[in-house]
Amino acid sequence: MLIEYLAILIYIAIAVFFALFAIIASALLGQKKPTPLKQAPYECGMTTFGSSFRRIPIKYYIIAMLFLLFDIEVVFLYPWAVVFKEFKMFAFISMAVFLGILVIAYIYIWKKGALEWE
Amino acid sequence: MTLYAVTFYVLAAIVVLSTLLAIIQRQVIHAVVYLIVSFFATGLLFYLLGAPFLAALEVIIYAGAIMVLFLFIVMTVRAESGEDKGEIYQWLPAVILGIISLFVGGVLIFEIPGSKTGLSTGMATPSAFGQFLFKNYWFPVEIASFLLLIGLVGALYLGRRESRKGSEDRR
Amino acid sequence: MLLEWILGFVFLIVKLTIVLIILLTVAAYLVWVERKLLGRIQARYGPNRAGEFGLLQPLADLVKLITKEDTVPQEANKGIFLLAPGVVGLMALLIFAVVPFGSGVTLWGRSIPLVITDLNVGLLFILALSSISVYGIALGGWASNSKYSLLGGIRGAAQMISYEVPMGLSLVPVVMLARSFSLVEITNAQSARPFIFVQPVSFILFLIAALAEIKRIPFDLPEAENELGAGYHTEYSGMRFGLFFLGEYITMIILGSLIAVFFLGGWHGPLLPPIIWFLLKVGIIVFTLIWFRATFPRIRYDQLMNTGWKVLIPIALLNIVVTGALVLGTS
Repeated sequence: MLIEYLAILIYIAIAVFFALFAIIASALLGQKKPTPLKQAPYECGMTTFGSSFRRIPIKYYIIAMLFLLFDIEVVFLYPWAVVFKEFKMFAFISMAVFLGILVIAYIYIWKKGALEWE
Repeated sequence: MTLYAVTFYVLAAIVVLSTLLAIIQRQVIHAVVYLIVSFFATGLLFYLLGAPFLAALEVIIYAGAIMVLFLFIVMTVRAESGEDKGEIYQWLPAVILGIISLFVGGVLIFEIPGSKTGLSTGMATPSAFGQFLFKNYWFPVEIASFLLLIGLVGALYLGRRESRKGSEDRR
Repeated sequence: MLLEWILGFVFLIVKLTIVLIILLTVAAYLVWVERKLLGRIQARYGPNRAGEFGLLQPLADLVKLITKEDTVPQEANKGIFLLAPGVVGLMALLIFAVVPFGSGVTLWGRSIPLVITDLNVGLLFILALSSISVYGIALGGWASNSKYSLLGGIRGAAQMISYEVPMGLSLVPVVMLARSFSLVEITNAQSARPFIFVQPVSFILFLIAALAEIKRIPFDLPEAENELGAGYHTEYSGMRFGLFFLGEYITMIILGSLIAVFFLGGWHGPLLPPIIWFLLKVGIIVFTLIWFRATFPRIRYDQLMNTGWKVLIPIALLNIVVTGALVLGTS
């Protein structure tokens, strides 16, 4: 029993070992002849100009925020889904209310244009 | 020491160490990475203590969703590491809060009588969790969805204002 | 007692190692299969130099990848640059831990379940790990200090998180019907009738969302070669690129396995042995994915986001309510 319980941890250890092995083997076996030009970031063959750092649009922040909130909703749905067949009507109504509020939020963000990707 | 105890202490050490590194890192993205490691290890701790459902939630919500948000915020602002050591008004509240939570934690560990007895490793199956949640706490769940609605409105408000400012900058 | 314990431990290690080796070999040969199939579909031969029918191609690729120079772009964030491909490869390998590929065999009087570990939260474990693999893409793109990589990384991260929501929602009806998160129990719930007949909408939603999640055509915008070079792995070389590559093919196998487990009844099937049925189902799905790649054009980014947020999520929510009502009505 204990062994089966720990199987996942052992598997994680083996997988980590494999990933490390692949990277280290490549670092040891590969040749090393770095030149400044070779190490320059790729830019379609042109000389790189300017900083490669770009501030990303705020749009992505909104997407991440929406994702966080919807992800929490999804996670609330899961324990409900498991016991749905036992609680029947009560589960259905309580989740209908829950989903109803979610739908209100969803319509709100849609109307506000947060889902538009120009 | 049993295998359980060893695993527990290793994971706990990872959690403490990575959280500490997240605090003292100057490079913001590194701090984010250490926090992800910390949450992931916390998830494994939950699993070890017999709460697999909570373990999954910890990883999905904290390591998976909240840290993506952090990462995007870090990428939205200039991500170069600042040279300044931080002002005193930033450090002071953090230190005070840290001391308070350390104190509360100490009281919880050493003064509450039940805290010294070891937990027997139980197993909360997901369906037991679901039943418990919907028998006893169905109302807070509904309230939580209201909280999420409010959070959504707030996030949208912040994002909209910022986006208008951003487009002005570009022009 | 102790002997029994050690024996169990040895069995476990051997089983895990064998599964891992088979998984890696199949993933390596999947590269060959894909190149061969794409070749045939486009009226070419595909790889045919290394060995008979190019069958030694994966081996040649491995040797090449390992002995290539391992370049790190200047001003790259070295630590994170090193870490990112490891995260992608590792998460792909770990997800396979909960996939059951057979009903179990008996060896030397010891029954061995044909799954690495039957977690009772297996489905959530998959969602959790796939949400972690977002970081491999985003951080890899960010740490490369290249404009294309950064754009590819951010695009990839936004795409993956956007499609995680419909993917999660599309599996809720499956959980409602199977009453469990364990992949073994979900499979067993379909012994009479695979869920694809009960939940066709869920199946289609999951297929689309998971396709976007693994960034295959028509959703391969993070690595759109005509705009972004190679996207988030532009700057990677050697085995680090290899790990990204391997991760992609392992996730293809995993997607095939998950669709087989959630919707096609897993290892259940008449006449043939269970494991053959399982491989057959996975093979069909993987073949379909390669076929998609040969057929579909890439969609635009605004189309991608609109599909995720405005089409898939409402349908998924509606599907959950309808499933709930139907379950109530029939019971």
